[in-house]
Amino acid sequence: MSFLIPCPHCGNRSVYEFRFGGEVKTRPQPEAPTEEWMEYTYTKANESGVQKEWWFHRSGCRQWLQASRNTTTNEVLEAFFPE
Amino acid sequence: MADSTEKFTFQFDGQVVEARAGDTVASALYRAGRRIFTRSFKYHRPRGLLCMAGKCPNCMMNVDGTPNVRACITPARAGMRVEHQNAYPSLDHDLLAAVQRFDWLMPVGWYYKTMTHEWSWHAAEPYIRKVAGLGVAPEAGGGSTDYEHAWMHAEVAVIGGGPAGLQAALELAQSGAQVTLVDDQPELGGHLRYRKQAGKVPAELIAQLRALSGVEIISRAYCFGLYEGNQLGVLQATPHAGAIERLIHLRAKRVVVATGAYEVPFTFENNDLPGVMLSTAVQRLIHLHGIKPGNRAVIVASVAQGDDVAVDLRDSGVEVVAKLAPHEVISGVGSSHITAVRAKDGEIACDLLVLCGQRVPDAGLLNQAGGKLAWNEERGAFLPVDLPANVSAVGEVTGAWMARATPHPPENIPYHKRAFVCLCSDVSTADLRDGISEGFDHIETLKRYTTLTMGPCQGRMCQLAGIGVCAHETGRSMGETGVTTSRPPNPSVSLGALAGPRHHPTRRTPMHYAHDESGAVWLDMGEWKRPRYYKTASCPDERACVDEEYRAVRERAGLIDVSTLGKLDVKGRDAGKLLDKVYTNRFSDLKPGRVRYSVLCDEAGIMLDDGTISRLAEDHYFITTTTGNLDFVQQWLEWWLVGTGWDVHITNLTGGRAAVNLAGPQARDVLQTLTACDLTTKAFPYMACREAEVAEVPALLMRIGFVGETGWEIHFPAEYGEYLWNKLLEAGKTSGIRPFGIEAQRLLRLEKRHVIVGVDTDALSNPYESGMAWVAKLDKADFIGRNALSRLSEAAPQQSLVGFVMNDDALPQDGAAILVDGALAGRVTSARYSPKNGKAVGLAWVVAKSAAIGMEIQIRVNGSTARARIVEEAFYDPAGERLRM
Repeated sequence: MSFLIPCPHCGNRSVYEFRFGGEVKTRPQPEAPTEEWMEYTYTKANESGVQKEWWFHRSGCRQWLQASRNTTTNEVLEAFFPE
Repeated sequence: MADSTEKFTFQFDGQVVEARAGDTVASALYRAGRRIFTRSFKYHRPRGLLCMAGKCPNCMMNVDGTPNVRACITPARAGMRVEHQNAYPSLDHDLLAAVQRFDWLMPVGWYYKTMTHEWSWHAAEPYIRKVAGLGVAPEAGGGSTDYEHAWMHAEVAVIGGGPAGLQAALELAQSGAQVTLVDDQPELGGHLRYRKQAGKVPAELIAQLRALSGVEIISRAYCFGLYEGNQLGVLQATPHAGAIERLIHLRAKRVVVATGAYEVPFTFENNDLPGVMLSTAVQRLIHLHGIKPGNRAVIVASVAQGDDVAVDLRDSGVEVVAKLAPHEVISGVGSSHITAVRAKDGEIACDLLVLCGQRVPDAGLLNQAGGKLAWNEERGAFLPVDLPANVSAVGEVTGAWMARATPHPPENIPYHKRAFVCLCSDVSTADLRDGISEGFDHIETLKRYTTLTMGPCQGRMCQLAGIGVCAHETGRSMGETGVTTSRPPNPSVSLGALAGPRHHPTRRTPMHYAHDESGAVWLDMGEWKRPRYYKTASCPDERACVDEEYRAVRERAGLIDVSTLGKLDVKGRDAGKLLDKVYTNRFSDLKPGRVRYSVLCDEAGIMLDDGTISRLAEDHYFITTTTGNLDFVQQWLEWWLVGTGWDVHITNLTGGRAAVNLAGPQARDVLQTLTACDLTTKAFPYMACREAEVAEVPALLMRIGFVGETGWEIHFPAEYGEYLWNKLLEAGKTSGIRPFGIEAQRLLRLEKRHVIVGVDTDALSNPYESGMAWVAKLDKADFIGRNALSRLSEAAPQQSLVGFVMNDDALPQDGAAILVDGALAGRVTSARYSPKNGKAVGLAWVVAKSAAIGMEIQIRVNGSTARARIVEEAFYDPAGERLRM
């Protein structure tokens, strides 16, 4: 694993500067049914293809960003700070 | 060429060897008369120089303690200590060579065929371990540490400084690209440096290249891997006098591979004898090192080849007695060195057999990058095709100028137990035939069964010949048989180079040297150094010291350095809202000047960290985290902040603030002498905080009680760390104050049954099972983990974290197993001898049905079982009266 992530603040940087934060998911409403909470807490899509992920630029700007990564090629299509 | 004027010496097996500037270890030894350089892996056959290019396993030695160093490409240095390996007692007389008489006992797949029962392996293992393997790894800490790492970037990386690489680098640089040229030789020029008839080293081109800005040349560096994202692994030998190897992480937008080709030997009986040498090795000895390689040479070459090397040999004074075609050679003759070659027309005496072998593209990097290798009948080689974007190849690695030396697959294969295909692990043509006849007829299964291509040369010498045998035996073509996969690192890299210089960052608290003077015995906690306990003249051992420190806190006053706590300053209009969302406890209703404890859970209700949070003002909080979790907690808080638009600013103050905990019945008296802040319980109750000056140092005082006595945690600027530490000890002198360490603190908190998150809890622990239900405020509308915690609050617990007291004197270790009715029922997380109880006390996870108050459990202690009782309350001051005094 030695791909680059185009940090929107710092530019192209080695993946080793980042901490992986998992898939981007939508947190259910507090009163949502248990099944929805279980799905959110324990199930991962583990997409074979492009998925949106959280990354934290630990050795750089120390900010959380989201990136679209192709999990089969490790090509990062875009990275941005979520609004 | 080795400069004959400058000479120096090094040691080989205790003997002094003379070397000239430009020599490698192998060239110096060859000049000094050495012909056997190693013994083979399996049969301990004598082996001599074959490739002189670091591509074969025939000269691996131990250099300055590092095993398996290829002597032919390792520059000789004055004073180095070189030793042989894989032979006993010496290279010339190896007792283990007797093994080859029993080769009939060692067929291909010997392990699979012999070790058919578990006992047979156990019986054989001790003996096999003694003789198997190559080289001896240095003792822990015994190897060299002079390795370094470097990181570089290039627009274009050109790998190989031969004519094609030089030309490509020049053209790219002239077009304005920033070029990094990596070459494994001490000088540029590639094969033109020793294949004189192929042309002259383009000195003008090299000078032109050197003059261009934007060109960087890395010499004596080989590229061992081409990874994802055009990341190149480059290993440079002796980058400067202070380092033996430098690992360069080179990232390039484009890679041009110009690694050229190498020569491989022919297969015939005794083709491994010392004195059998590739033509390029002979040319290297002659032209790079000024060595006359032998006296009487026989050249083996297909038509039109071999003339160049014949000229070189005659020029250096070697008599060329015959030239044979590959199919005319029957066997080499000799025991420790070649003395003659047996050909179809009779025996020819010689001391040098020069093989003009097939040239093979050095295409490993291209294969690693995702390129395929396709058989080319005309060139007699597997050539790279289908290269990925941003990777290209130039020169001989593409098959340019290459000619087929022998037909492939071969028409006749000399099947013999001594006709070696793989020199690394002594795999012969006969072994391969046997493997194929046993059903391993696919090149990948044949490789795994016979270990062909799996030795230190990584298939360089044997792959083509092995494929040839496989194709011949199975009746398939070379292309159908295919190649095995190249994987990095190729060639091999020393573990020391990968490990690098081994820098371990260390963090010291502002009071570090004051602790040193007080006799601190250190404990590593992550990067931090913390006093485990203080060794003083009055206590003989750790237990006595800890006991003294414990008594000081319980009876008088104690002072501990807690500067390593994570400290986060949280400011902003929405700070309370964020803390309410992330922590399980409630903070928006906390009054300024008050402190509250909380844990931090994930969405599954698992406890991730704990700490205190002080509210300093309406919009200002101060968080402490456990020592190891600071980064995590800060990132966690910031993560939940993303996209909310809330007004919250989080600042890490850990390094900027020192912190101490002053605790004990006399703590108030000691502290009051240094501050104007009213410390009476009425003015400063338990779980309150105040900003005040202590000995004129601005400080935050928090009245909290981890150790179970009246006490204050004092946070203040790190610059005053040592000053205030000493000031507090001085003020407490008459009270009998003592500094105390981690060990006493752990005992003190254990008597209070205070849980340490991460020590007493793990990745499965929730607040309910940990006996901390009160910390989860389920009446809050929402917080991280609320859904899971509300479910857990209603579920029956699986296990419980309980306190226990031993029935007798036994002291269980942390982690000891707990038994109930002889069955495993849990484990101890912390246990210490409690002076208060006169017995050991502790915390343990126990399965729910056995965790009732008053139940008896058994704990494994020193191989037997000791009895203990589960208790409900803290072992010390259960009502917490002492905290509120």
